Parts: sequence; C-alpha cells; structure tokens
Amino acid sequence: MKTSIRELLVKRLKLKDTWVICFVLGMIMMNYPFISIFNKPVFPFGIPLLYLYLLWGWMFSIFIVYLFSRAARRDTDGKGRP
Amino acid sequence: MLDVNWVWGTALLYIVILFLVAYYADQRQREDRSITANPAVYALSIAVYSTSWTFYGSVGKAATTGIDFLPIYLGPTLTAFTWWFLLKKIVRISKENNITSIADFISSRYGSSQWLGAMITVITLMGIMPYIALQLKAVSTAFTIITGYHDFHVGVMERVYTPSPHPGLFTAALLALFSVVFGAKHLASTERHDGLVAAIALESLVKLVAMLVVGFTITYFVFDGMGDIFTRMYRKDPALLTRLITLGGTGENSYSSMFSLLTLSMSAVMLLPRQFQVMVLENADESHLNAASWRFPAYMFLMNLFVMPIALAGVLLTGSNVGADFFVLTLPMQQGYPWLALLAFLGGFSASAGMVMVESIAVSTMLLNHVLMPVVIRFKPQWWFPKLLINLKRFGIVLVILLGYLYQSVVGESYMLANMGLISFSAAVQFAPALIGGLYWPRGNKTGAIAGLSCGFAVWFYTLLLPSLLQAGGWQDDLLLQGPFGIEFLKPQALFWLTGLDPYSHTLFWSMFMNILAYLSLSILLGQGEKESEQMNRFVRVFSPENLEPQWETKRLSKPVTIVQFVNLMSKFIGEQQAHTAITDYLGDREIDSKGGVSEFELPNLKRFVEKTLAGSLGGAAAGAVVESFLSDIGSRMEPVFDIFSTVRTSRDQSREALSVRLRASEIMNRSLELDIIMGDLLELILREFKLDLCVIRLLNDEGMLEVRCHRGYGGERIISEGRTLEIDTHVGEAFLGRRTEFVNDTAFLTKAIAKEIANREGIRSFAHIPIASAGAPPVGVLSVFSRSIVGLFTEQFVELLESLAGQLAQAVNIVEEREARERERRQKEAALLENARVTRDLEIAKQIQLSLLPESAPRLKGLSIASRCIPAAHVGGDYYDFFERGEGRVDVIMADVSGHSVGAALIMVETRSVLRAQMKETHSAKDVLRLLNELLYDDLSGAELFITMFCAKYDGTTRTLSYANAGHSRPILFRAGGWEELDAEGLILGVEQSVSFEEKKVSLETGDLLLIYTDGIIEAEHETGELFGVERLCRLVSGLADEEPETVIERVLSEVNTYSWPHPLQDDISMVVMKVLNNEAETASC
Repeated sequence: MKTSIRELLVKRLKLKDTWVICFVLGMIMMNYPFISIFNKPVFPFGIPLLYLYLLWGWMFSIFIVYLFSRAARRDTDGKGRP
Repeated sequence: MLDVNWVWGTALLYIVILFLVAYYADQRQREDRSITANPAVYALSIAVYSTSWTFYGSVGKAATTGIDFLPIYLGPTLTAFTWWFLLKKIVRISKENNITSIADFISSRYGSSQWLGAMITVITLMGIMPYIALQLKAVSTAFTIITGYHDFHVGVMERVYTPSPHPGLFTAALLALFSVVFGAKHLASTERHDGLVAAIALESLVKLVAMLVVGFTITYFVFDGMGDIFTRMYRKDPALLTRLITLGGTGENSYSSMFSLLTLSMSAVMLLPRQFQVMVLENADESHLNAASWRFPAYMFLMNLFVMPIALAGVLLTGSNVGADFFVLTLPMQQGYPWLALLAFLGGFSASAGMVMVESIAVSTMLLNHVLMPVVIRFKPQWWFPKLLINLKRFGIVLVILLGYLYQSVVGESYMLANMGLISFSAAVQFAPALIGGLYWPRGNKTGAIAGLSCGFAVWFYTLLLPSLLQAGGWQDDLLLQGPFGIEFLKPQALFWLTGLDPYSHTLFWSMFMNILAYLSLSILLGQGEKESEQMNRFVRVFSPENLEPQWETKRLSKPVTIVQFVNLMSKFIGEQQAHTAITDYLGDREIDSKGGVSEFELPNLKRFVEKTLAGSLGGAAAGAVVESFLSDIGSRMEPVFDIFSTVRTSRDQSREALSVRLRASEIMNRSLELDIIMGDLLELILREFKLDLCVIRLLNDEGMLEVRCHRGYGGERIISEGRTLEIDTHVGEAFLGRRTEFVNDTAFLTKAIAKEIANREGIRSFAHIPIASAGAPPVGVLSVFSRSIVGLFTEQFVELLESLAGQLAQAVNIVEEREARERERRQKEAALLENARVTRDLEIAKQIQLSLLPESAPRLKGLSIASRCIPAAHVGGDYYDFFERGEGRVDVIMADVSGHSVGAALIMVETRSVLRAQMKETHSAKDVLRLLNELLYDDLSGAELFITMFCAKYDGTTRTLSYANAGHSRPILFRAGGWEELDAEGLILGVEQSVSFEEKKVSLETGDLLLIYTDGIIEAEHETGELFGVERLCRLVSGLADEEPETVIERVLSEVNTYSWPHPLQDDISMVVMKVLNNEAETASC
C-alpha cells in the first residue's frame, strides 16, 4: 500500500500539469489576498509572521521541486533519454 | 580601515586563483574531460543571478523598504517549477539551432529577422547599463569603505600616478580585462566556455560562504540569534519594524510591489542575457536542469537567510538605515572583525565580477551578431574575417562595460543599488511576451513581436530610464512633475493618471499592457511569412515526434553548389580548420557524387547545415544573410519546388494524388494484357495528372537498342524518332546503365552535349529518365518525361512516384514478355512433337521394309535344319543375313553387321544386300565373295565412314563340308559332341582397304553338329553391373541346348540375353542363324 502511494506520487510528479499547478499555486500564495492572512505584526517565536511564512513557504517549495527533480530523474534513468 | 595593500594583495591573490581555475577548466575541456559539465557546477553558475545587488543591495532594501526584497528571489524559485518544460524547451531549441544569445533566440523564432535581433540588442544594451553600473559602483564603493581610498589604489601609485582616477574606472578596466580573457577566446558562441563557467561557479561559492559567515557572525556572535534581533528592534522602534515586516496598501513594500517584483524577477532569471548564457548556452546536458531546479533556489534561500537579520542589526547598531547598502561590510568593521570585512569584500567582488563578465560577453555576442554583423557581411568575405570578428567581439565586451561605467558616473550616487537593478529587470521583462508566445503560440508573428517590443521598450524608457537619468542630473523637474509641455496625463511616473503604484509596478503595468496588446493584436491581424512559419514549426513543435521525421523538401537550389564552395565560404568566417571539421562531421557517410556535390535533394539540407554552423558564430539572422548573398553571387538561389500535389497531404509520406495515381496505374496494368495499350494508357495518365509535355517509353530490343515503343504528348520529333544505344554519354543511357533515375531540373545547367542540343531545340526546361525495372532485376527500358514550362519539377516525392510507376510498368512488361516466351516455347514443342511422330512413322515403315529384306524363312535342306532371327535395337538396324540356295543340298549363308544401327547403317545394309544378290548369282568361293564385296563397297563405305563385318559360308550337303571366309565378323561357333569351337578365318573388315585378300577355310560337319552364326549384339549385351554377356556364357548356354531344335535354341538365347540385360533395352541389333546338321534322311523344316 505504501509503495503504491509512492508510485502514484512519482507518476503525478512527472506530469507537466502538476508542475504548472504548483507554479500557479505558488503565485497565488505569494500574492494578495492570500498573503494578507499573514500580513500582520505578530511575532511567533519572536520572528515576524510574514517573514516566517515566506521563509517556510520557500523551503517547502524547494522541497517540492526537489521531489519533482527526483521523479524526473527516475524517469530519465529508467527509460534512457527521451 | 584595512591596509590598502593588504586588500589589494588579497584581491590579487583571489584573481590569480580565479585565473588558474579557469585555465585548468579550459585544459580539461580541451582534453574532453570537462569539470563543469555536472549539475552542481551548472546550478552554481546559474547563481550568477545573485550579483552585488543581492550581496549588498538586499540588505539595503530590507533596511529601507522592508520585506519586499524577498520576491526578487522567490520569483526565480517559482520559475523552477517551469524549468522542467519551459527551460528544457528553450535549451533543446537552442542546441538544435545553434542559438548564440537571447536576441538570436527570439529573432530566429520570428524568421531570423535582423531587425528584431538588432532591436533586442539595443534594448538589452540600454537596459543592462544600470545593472553594470550597479556592479561597478558596488565594487568601488566597497573598496572605498574598507580602505578609505577612492577606487582601487595601490601604495606605489601615490608616487607614480598623482591625479586621482574617477571612481569605478579601475574596476571597469579590470573586469573588462577579465571578461576579454575568459569570454572571447573563440568566435563560436555556442561552444561552452568551461573556463568562464568554472570561475563563475567558484565565485558563486565564495559569495555564498562570505554572506553566510558574515550573517552567522552578526546574528549569533554580535546578537543572540534572529529572535533576539527582532525583539530588540521591536523594543527600539516598533513602528519601523512593523513597516518593514508587513506589506502596505500602496507604493513600495505593498501587495502590488510584491506582485511586480515577483513578475520582474521571474522574467529576469530567464531573460537577462547572462542568465540565458549560463542556463541555456553553457548547459552541457538537459538532465542537469533537473538537479539545478532545486539547487539554485536552495542557494538563493541560503543567500537570503541572514539578509533581514543583518539589515535590522545594522539599524540597531548604527541607529538608522543610512548606508544600509553596505551593512555587510561596515558592520564587521564596526564590530572589530576586519578579516570578516575582507571576506565580505571578496564576496561582493565575486558577485560583481561574475555578473559583469557573463553579462558583457553575452551582450557583446548580441552586439556582434545583430548590430555589427549585418554591416560586416555587406563586404566581400576575406581571409582575415575570423580575426576581425573575434576582435570586434572583444571590443564589444569593453564597450558594454564602458557604457555601464558611463551610466554609473552620471547616475551613480543618486540611486540605491537595488533600484538600479530593477530598472534592468524591467527592461528584460519586455522580452517575455515575444519569447513565451514564440514558444507556445503558433500564430505569434514578427510584426507583433517587433511592435510589442517597441511599445514596451518605449514605455520603459519613458517611464523608468528617463526619470532615473533626469533625477540623477537634477534637470527638467518640470517634465516629471507636470508632464511634457504641461500635459498631465503624459507624466512619466503617472502615465494616463495612473497613480498609487511604485515606479516599477507602474512601468511593469504599462509596458506589459502595451507590449502584450501590440504583440497579440498584430499577430492576430497579420500573417506569417514563409520563413517565419518554417521557424515557428521548429520552435513550437520541437518536441513533437513528427518534427523529427524528414519532411518533404519544399525548396531547391536553382543552381547546384559544390561542397568545396560551401567550405570556402565557412572558412572565411569561422576559420579553415573549424570549417573542415564541421563539414566532415556533416558528411559522415552521406553519398557524394562524381562532381563533388551531394544529391540535389540533399543540397537544401547542406545549405541549412552551413547556415546553422555559421549561426553558431554569427547569429542566425546574419548567417542566413551571408549564405543568401553567397548564393546570389554564384547565381543560385533557393526557390520553392513546383508543388505537383496541390492538396493537403493526407499522410506524411504520400499525398492523396500520389496514391490515386498509383491506384489508377495499377488499374491500367490489370485491365489489359496488351503491352501497347498499357503503355499508352499509362503515359496518358502521367501526362494528364502532371504538368508534363512529352512522355516516352523506350524498351530494350533484341539488338540491344533502346527503342521507342510508345509516346504521348506533342513535339519532340527527334526524341521519339530514334532509338538510343546504351552509352553513358546520354542521359537515357546513364539512367539505364546506372539503374537509377536521371533527372535534370533545369536544362540551363546541362553538361552533356547531345542532351543540351536536344533540350535547346525542343525548348525543354526539365526532364527525367526513369529506368523501368522490377526490384533487383536489370532494367528493361526507360520511361522519360519532359516539361517545357516548369523548372524544378522533379522533387524527391515526384521522382519517387515516377519510379514506382516505372516499377509497376516493369512488372507489366515482364508479365507480357513471360507470356510471349511461354507461347513460343509451347509452339516449338508442338512442332517438335509432330516432327518426331513423322520420323517415327517413317522409321517404322523403314523397319518394316528392312525386315522384309531379310529372308522370310530359312531354306529347307536335306540333312540340315536352319533357323534365323533379326531383332533390331532401333527402328532400323545394320544387321543383315541371307541365304542363297544353290541346289543339290548346297546353300550359301551370309551374316553381316554394318557398324552402328542408324538409318545410314540400314541404307548401307540395303546396298550390301543388292550388291550381294547381284554378285551371288555367279558362283564364287566364299573368299572371293568377300573380296569382291569389299572392292565394290569400299568407296561407299569410306564415304559414309562405316564398316561392315561379314561372315560368308558355303555348305555342301553332299559332302557335308562348310567352306567359309570371315571379314572381321564375330566368329561363329560350332558345337559338336558336348564341346565347341570357333570357326576362325583371317580377314579384314570391309571398307578399310581397297583390296584385301581373305583366308578361306573348310570344315567337315557331322550329324548333330550345331553351328551358331551371330552378330556381336548378343555377346556385348550389358548387365546392370557393366559386365558383358560374353562368348563363354553363350557357348555354355548353347551347348546345353545342343539337342534342341534350332528355333528353340534361338528363342532360349534371346530370352537369356533379354533377361541378362534387364531392365535396360538392348543396345545393339541382334541377329542369329542356327544350323543343325541332321541325318541325311531327315528333313526338317525351319521356320
């Protein structure tokens, strides 16, 4: 079961559509009105909320791209060059 | 302050290390063991995006406007999501088309337009000036900050060089030198610059390490971590902190600026010339994109991790945000970490140097290919062109940096670093519509792209660059405040009364609005040129699999060009050695004909290859123009082939017409068995379907001539009136002997004298001779088609169709010929059978006659029983025996065998019989009979080359004596009282010599004696094993039968011989005479 979810994830990550969706999602999450949710002078852990949100969001998207590249690499490894 | 010599020394050491690394990388590249062709170095080289603007300016922006420094780096992270399909597509197209720069890329997409390329170059050059200025300013300011001197300064200089140089000039000169050495080693811009990339990657590493070390030191040594900085800041100035870390409604650091900066940075990371250079041109392998797509964002994340803390720390430590741009340098110095300041200086220098090097090289390539090249190629190419071009490129690098320096000296002091960079970003974003549209929108056209770019550029210039220059100079504030001539809605920074936006958002909005509007509307309103749509296909459909398959050639060269001519052309631009290497790679295993050219269908490909190779050095547009003018110089040009098939192609390899023509041709073949009808119908079909004037079919006749068998169309009396011998000096002969289609698309370039003369007289413009041959078989004829009106009629597709028709015709010819051959053979066989039957009948008659010539029955004599038999092996034979009764118990017996058993032998036998009968009337002795016969028959026998063996015996019943003579005949056998003996008498075969004397012998016979006279057919009868019947066996057989009747003896001997030679029939005639001596009283009848 675990592997099948993994396989499914890898398969979806190879789709161009998934990349585009992630791009659009990222664009939305960094713009008004979404970003206004975090646009407050609040300091969780002593760090400004917006700053924290952007940094964490950044790290998260790097991780997602990392997954993408893993999936794509697996593709090129498996079938040779397209 | 640090000691200036210290700083100089460190910087110099660092530069030497950079040189060494670059040199080493170049060496490795030459050995084909590149150290830069891996994802890590690739990602680090993309980090050239982080310039001194990032290194120093981010902190400045964070301290003054606040958190909106981040979107500049968040944008590129977002684009990483698109790299996998967008950047990959760009990389693939660039590699396939030898793209040299972003200007080349965009202009190539829109039909290799020189105008578009030049325009992009100009926009880039102007757009990039502030950016380069920013780098120069950063380096020289940083130097001043840590040493206290203006610009680079060496202690020695105080003595030799008194006038103080203008700030930044030294920096500019140093970086220009650097760039020229690394970036302009060879002309081919598509070749990777390993040395450059290695240096860039090292610099990226240094600036990251410097930033992290400075940030970490300040955050965790000077303060107690990030939280501590924020807390202290909040305590000190809550209002300022709140402003910095939240987004406002309008102006800078607002939602709108967030969006603008994201958009600008997303375009910039793809579209800035230096980014295009490192991401696309220096990409060694598409798969590196995968790894780089997360490594590069991670790099920028680390780079920006401490930006906010440093900025706030600076505000806390210095009390304000004045000079925030250089907090990275000033804070370590203030806090007593001079070595840290030195490290930061090196980091900042790396950031600037990397950017300036790559940017100046990229822009200078564009400058060379799109501005200078169109001028250069107007002159006749010379051998020194390669040298000129490379020096022009070096000159371009210096020029680009100098322009930056100029801008810096004018504007330098008035702007913050980050803001100067944003001016460049706003210029780069103008390329986005044309580029993205060009990649995905097939309708996007050149006019749209040019109009869009012009509008966008104009808006950018008017609303952003112009104000920056004006504000810096402090001139004409009226224009900014009241608009030109007081027209308020044309105010540069509030165009059409649009206010409330920061200047960059304002420019972004209006420039993109105009740009996209013009691009889209003109693309929809106007169409594309031919060249444009061809290029569009190559770009938009680069990944479509059908794009890889060869398409039908739609162009031809009006006059063939040889390979040598092309090589000479290339040598003049890229140098002889490179030209030869390139052409060798291209030709590979392609066929080259006797004249040193490639086949006519291959020529357009070769031309394209030459263009592409030149494009690698000159840019696509200039390369196209070079090849074009070269062709027109030698009197050739690309012209569209005559499209014989007018409708849309239904499948990729065959048009609907071609299919229908083939179908109808096979109908014609099946409809009739008459070759003349088939050929006539086929020629009419060809004539009707294609624009031909004359069609001729020649077939090989028995004399080895190609004889005109069928023709349709008008004119061409000479062509159709005479056959052609198979000679190589006519096109027909060459087609037939060479077994391949000979076609001439333009008779103006004919070389064969006869063909030229005929073509001139008949007014033929193009023709083709197609050998009529089934696959693998030698041709049976030639199909010729002629056109009087169309040059370039014979495309690959058309020739293939004609070849297939000729193949079908060959089948028909073969079938007809086979049928005729079968018919002929059948008739011959019939005739032969008839003839045979007649001969057989004749022979049968002859046989009957011949048998009737033998004595019907043996004579009856007292005291003697005689039986005789003759079995001819064939119809007629050469055996003969006869009896002559002399009365009084006397009888003469003759046994003869003519050699052979042919008709000839039979005739001789008849002659012998006649002569013998005539002669036997006289009473001769046996030897005289033989002698006489020999004399009489000698001439005939030697004439016929035949011989006769003969045994002649005379028996006298009264005395029971037998006198005999033998002319070489098988010796008769006498059986007496259980034993036997051969009757031997000397004598030569008849017909050997003119006169021969024979021996005559006598023998007395007794009652019970049995005499067997036979021909050699008996003893020479052959067993299956090859053994002969033999005299011995015969004697044993007959001696066992001594008491039997002669007739019985004959029967038994015959049956034995037949059994012996079974299953084969007898090879020779067999004749026997058996005489048995009885009591005188007895008288027995013989059969």
